Amino acid sequence: MSSHRLFRFPKPQWLNSPNTRTAGVYLAGALFSLGFFFFIDASTYSHSAKNGSDVHIKFVDWVPGICSALGMLVINSIEKTRLSADSFSYSGSGVAWKARLVLFLGFALMAGGLAGSVAVLVLKYVVPEYPFPTLYFGIANVIANGLIMLSSVVLWVSQNMEDDYTYNLAL
Amino acid sequence: MAAGLKTIIALSFVLAIGFLLVILSSALWHNYLPFLVVATYVLAPLPNFICGRCANPDDFMESSGSAIVDFGRFCTGFLVVMGIALPALLAHCALIQYPAMVMSIIGGLLIYGTIISFTMFFQEEQDF
Repeated sequence: MSSHRLFRFPKPQWLNSPNTRTAGVYLAGALFSLGFFFFIDASTYSHSAKNGSDVHIKFVDWVPGICSALGMLVINSIEKTRLSADSFSYSGSGVAWKARLVLFLGFALMAGGLAGSVAVLVLKYVVPEYPFPTLYFGIANVIANGLIMLSSVVLWVSQNMEDDYTYNLAL
Repeated sequence: MAAGLKTIIALSFVLAIGFLLVILSSALWHNYLPFLVVATYVLAPLPNFICGRCANPDDFMESSGSAIVDFGRFCTGFLVVMGIALPALLAHCALIQYPAMVMSIIGGLLIYGTIISFTMFFQEEQDF
């Protein structure tokens, strides 16, 4: 297995342990929660008495977050082993092709969410030049979408760790 | 066995301190929103328990069991951070005071630590 390495530095040993995998899944949940509550905080703040301006969080601000969460759901509900299934004989009728198409849709949703949050920040809050407590709504939106994306990356990486582990056990 | 009488007494003491802090943080300001923290931390270990029962630990080849376990862990991580983020959110939006936030976060962490160490001590006995 070590002769198939691509990079000069070997993968550290602790990356393969099941404990790291478990910690990665917990960390993904924690990051998702942090991002979610950043956005909930912004929308609660917009409704509370501390919001001096008459700018509020509307449905437009929710759309990027919904897109990101949907993209995360799509990406992580795909069976990872099906992505390289074309080389095997038992996977007929292009399972890998379908899996890649759905995966592309998921990544497009997630990237669209992040880009959309930046667009909302610029168009709704930066261009009219609002002062800071109002600008925070847009910034919190970007932070929330970035954290959801990071959480999805962590979840993806830690789910791909599993393959080596189960392979070693099966042998 | 590590889980003796002293452990139970110490754990219940810590649990009582945690509940005291949360109740004080609500009652001192006549604002009962910090009680949500207790609900969050009581709910937090539940997805792990349920999904651990659903998954079959015997088969390594089938990855559907591991997906359910992963979902449970994801929910647990979500709920644990929610227990810290919720008082911070309430305090930032002036729904509760900042001292109430600090007290409810510390109390919630004590309650959650009690639940976790309780299950850790008593799962070893029931194991097989």
